[in-house]
This record gives sequence, structure tokens and C-alpha cells, in this order.
Amino acid sequence: MLRLRNERSGLRGTTRDESLPAAADEGDRSERAGAASRWLRSNKVQIFLFTIGILLVWQFVNEALRVPSYLLPTPSAIARALYSGVVDGLFIKSAFITLLEAITGFLIAACAGIVLGTAIAQFAIVERLVYPYIVGLQSLPKVAIAPLVIVWFGYGFSSKIVVSATIAFFPVLVNVIVGLKSADADQLDLMRSLNASRWQKLRLVQFPAALPFIFAGLDVAAIFSVLGAIVAEFVGSQAGLGNLLLTFNSNLDISSVFACLILLGLMGTSLHFAIQLLRRRMVFWSREDEVRKL
Amino acid sequence: MSTVLKADRSVAESPAEIRITDLSMRYRTVSGDSVFALDRVSLAIQPREFVCVVGTSGCGKTTLLRIIAGLVRHTAGRVHLRDREISGPSADVGIVFQGPVLLPWKTVLENVMIPVVVLGLDRDAHRRRAMELLDLVGLSGFEDKYPKELSGGMQQRASIARALVHQPSLLLMDEPFGALDAMTRETMNLELQRIVKDAAITVLFITHSIQEAVFLGDRIVVMTPRPGRIAESMTIDLPRPRELDAMSAPEFGSYVRAVRRLLNARGMTH
Ligand SMILES: Nc1ncnc2c1ncn2[C@@H]1O[C@H](COP(=O)(O)OP(=O)(O)OP(=O)(O)O)[C@@H](O)[C@H]1O
Ligand SMILES: [Mg+2]
Repeated sequence: MLRLRNERSGLRGTTRDESLPAAADEGDRSERAGAASRWLRSNKVQIFLFTIGILLVWQFVNEALRVPSYLLPTPSAIARALYSGVVDGLFIKSAFITLLEAITGFLIAACAGIVLGTAIAQFAIVERLVYPYIVGLQSLPKVAIAPLVIVWFGYGFSSKIVVSATIAFFPVLVNVIVGLKSADADQLDLMRSLNASRWQKLRLVQFPAALPFIFAGLDVAAIFSVLGAIVAEFVGSQAGLGNLLLTFNSNLDISSVFACLILLGLMGTSLHFAIQLLRRRMVFWSREDEVRKL
Repeated sequence: MSTVLKADRSVAESPAEIRITDLSMRYRTVSGDSVFALDRVSLAIQPREFVCVVGTSGCGKTTLLRIIAGLVRHTAGRVHLRDREISGPSADVGIVFQGPVLLPWKTVLENVMIPVVVLGLDRDAHRRRAMELLDLVGLSGFEDKYPKELSGGMQQRASIARALVHQPSLLLMDEPFGALDAMTRETMNLELQRIVKDAAITVLFITHSIQEAVFLGDRIVVMTPRPGRIAESMTIDLPRPRELDAMSAPEFGSYVRAVRRLLNARGMTH
């Protein structure tokens, strides 16, 4: 097991080294050929080349079979749509609105999930009263509330934020509860042997122990918050990428629909990496493979 | 260094550090019936005495330690820490658990400072003491490392420093070196003997190893299982400081044999 991991990390190390320009030590020509073949074997380069290949095949097959662009546009058409939408500012403006909705929803969900999760894990009375509701609500498909929220909060920002926050809330909540309860019994005994207060136990042991779980929850919540914003925009909105996507769809401008999807993908990926960055700084002491995702 | 560690309490004519009278402990199990973990155990430990508890697995050693630590409540009998009957954990006790139990998100120094932080003691004054203790356990230079950067033996030594930082008068140790290899264990035994001498502290030390108990203890308490009872209390009259060579001395061997005979005699009946 251990050996296997070592070998794997060793392998990763060498591939990284090999993607660097090789040191000039041997003969120049064989050196360059070796460097090229090593460059080809690097993981990132392989993925990049593979993607280029797929796009080329897509473009070629699409043109050869004359697939109508309202069914499946060519990659080049999608690229043009993306470019023109970005240049005239429409995509940027819409993406900004959706991102703002999602991030606001996410932050509300994160705070509410951490606060309520802590209360549930700390106070038996809160757990007894609130937990049945949470279990009930969790099995409900949250997107189903979107029409109701539009009725209550209107077509503007607030309804998007509410749907986004509601959907993103549950993964945070569940992970906070599980994380706080995962604290090591011996570490808690150590705290108890020093007559530590509830707050000291929470601050020094339970909360740090929960952090890997909380970040796993936040990771899911970030994706869910974008999902919530888009769904709410679908149901009723005046702006945002979801709104734009529906308009393009009804005009059968499928190239622009794809361009919107690409932007949404970028949005989700950026949020994911932002959270991973934060996690690596805050949970530096834990190994990633020790955390179960819930 | 030792001036800081030396506790300023008088050793003479003070009451017993621990006095346990007819202590019984019954655990309630999930299935509803109860486990008789300790049966009318009586034991007195004098200040600055080093008492080792040996006994087969499940004879109630950890239970005894947790009761003295105030972590679990006994069902009958009385336990006095000096002149006060225990009613919960006390700041006057330091505990070394079977594992190091360090917080992985804190540096070694921060871990050693945990009792100071939790008990609300003066941090600046105790930071110096923590550094001296780290030096004493051979970890100077490692104070800013994280636990995962230390070997198992080093982590356990950090946990000994932590148990001593708030100047407890009683040190409770539950098989602290059980997870270490034989070589490291012997080194740790030597170091513990030195640390305890400097700290002028009472120690209750639980172990599975008869050699370790004879090497460290002023006295050995032999426990027998089901229900947990004290079979015998044996004074170890070997000169201090004890060197590793002492383990090959004939007196050492005869103590080891005596303890083993006690353990075997009682163990066979069950
Ligand atoms: N929390 C508990 N609930 C129920 N029974 C327990 C509990 N803790 C211990 N026991 C029982 O009490 C008895 C004594 O346990 P204890 O842990 O004190 O033994 P020990 O001497 O420390 O053993 P070991 O050497 O294996 O650590 C055992 O029979 C055990 O099953
Ligand atoms: Mg035990």
C-alpha cells in the first residue's frame, strides 16, 4: 500500500520533471528528440492533444454530414458565438449577474450551514427539534421550490439568491454536523481532563477536526449555488446566463447556447478551485484522501 | 532548568497524594447488564512516589486511571486527591494517554501550551516553561514543527511535556510507551526517570511490561481481572538513578520473576 503510493508519487514527480526543458548535457539532436518525446508523454500535454483531436473530429464529421447548426453546431461556430458574445459585453454582464447571485447564495448557505450545524451538534435540544425537519427537507428535490420562491420574492436578484442558498445549504449543514461529531474521543478526553468549557472544546478540537468535512461540503455547495441560480433564472428572470440561455434556445441559436454552457462550466470550475485553494491553506495538516465526501 | 520544574510544596508530613478506599466500578453495557470493572480497590500513594500498575488486559487499569483523572464517575467507594475528594477533573493532574493525542493542526509548542490555554494561566510565563520542558524531553528545535513531522516517540515525548506544563502534582500515565519499539521504549524509560526526578512529581504509571514496571517503579501494584482487584503491592528496592545495565542485575531479575509469578497465579484461576 505504502510502496504503491510512493511509486505513484515518484511517477508523478518524474513526469513533472520531464515536462521541463531538459538540461543540455548530451548530444544536441538526440537531446532534442528525447525532450520532444518526453514532452508528448506528459499528462497535461496528452489531455490537451486529446481535446484538440476530439474538436477536430467533431468539426470534420459535422461538416461532412452537414449536421444543421440548430441541432449541433461546429466547434468553430461555438467559438465565434462565444467570441462575439464576450466582445459585445452581453456574456460578461450576464455571467457577472449569475455569478453574483450564486456567490451571495453560497455565502449565505455557508454561514447558515455552519451556524445551524454547530447548534445541532452542540445542543441536544436543537438536534431533537430541528433534525426531523432537516431529514424531511433533504429528501425533497430543492429545485421544486423555485416557482414558489419566484412568487414570493419576484423576478429580481433576491429570488435567485434564495433558491441558490437553499440548495447549497444542505451539503454544508450535513458536513458540519458529521465533521463536528467526528472529533477524536481521546482529544475530547484531553479537553475534559482540563475542565475545558464547551466553547474551548469547540474552538480547539471539534471545529478544526470538522474543517476537512466542511470544505468537502463547501465544494459541493459551490456547484449547487450556481445550479440554484440558473434554475431560478429559468423559472423567472430578467437577466443572467440562465435567462440568456433560454432566449438563445427559443431562437434556436444553439451555438450561443453552447457558449453559455462553456461559461457556466468555467464558473463552476473557478469556484471549485477557489475553495480548494482555501482548503489547502486552512487544512494543511490533513491529507486529502482521509476525507470522505458526503 | 530544574529550578523551574521543582514544585514548591513541602514533601514532609503531607497527606497521601492519592487515597483510594473501597473503590468499585460497574459499567452499564448497551445490552443492559453490567460489567464489574473494579471491586473494592484500596490504594494509597505517597507524594513523589512512582507507582506502576501491572495486570492482564481488561483488569480495570484504565478504568482506575480514568476515575482518578475525574473522567468517569465511580459507583462506590471514595477517592481523595490529597485532602479533597474528587468530583471531576482537576488542574492538579497531568495525563499521558496511550497515544500522544496531539492536535494535528497545532505546532508542537502550541500543543504543549494547550493546558495553559484551557486553564487560563499566564501564557508568557508558561511559554518559557514549555520551551524548557521541550528541551528536557529532547525536542528543542522542534517547537514549530507539526505533529506529523515527528516520529511516534517524539510525539509521545511532546505529550509528556504537555502533561507537565501546568505544574501538576500528579502525573497519570496509561501505557504511554506501549506503541513504541523496544529500543525507543528503553530510552524513554531512562528519560522519564530523569524528568520525574527533576519535576518532583507523583506518578501512577500503567504498563503491560513487567521489566518496565520494575525499572521505573518505587512500588508495583499487581491487579487481577474479573472483577478488577489489587492482588499485591510490592516495593522495588533498587538504587536510583537506575541505568539500563541494572536490568541484568540478579535483584532485577528476581523482582521480575516475583511479579510474573503473581500475574500467572491469579491469571490461571480464570
Ligand atoms: N466504557 C465502558 N463501558 C462498558 N464497559 C467498559 C467500559 N470501559 C471498560 N469496560 C470494561 O471494564 C473492564 C476493564 O476495562 P479497562 O479498560 O479498565 O481495562 P484495562 O486493564 O485498561 O485493559 P487493557 O490493559 O487492555 O487496556 C473490561 O472488562 C472492559 O470491558
Ligand atoms: Mg487500558
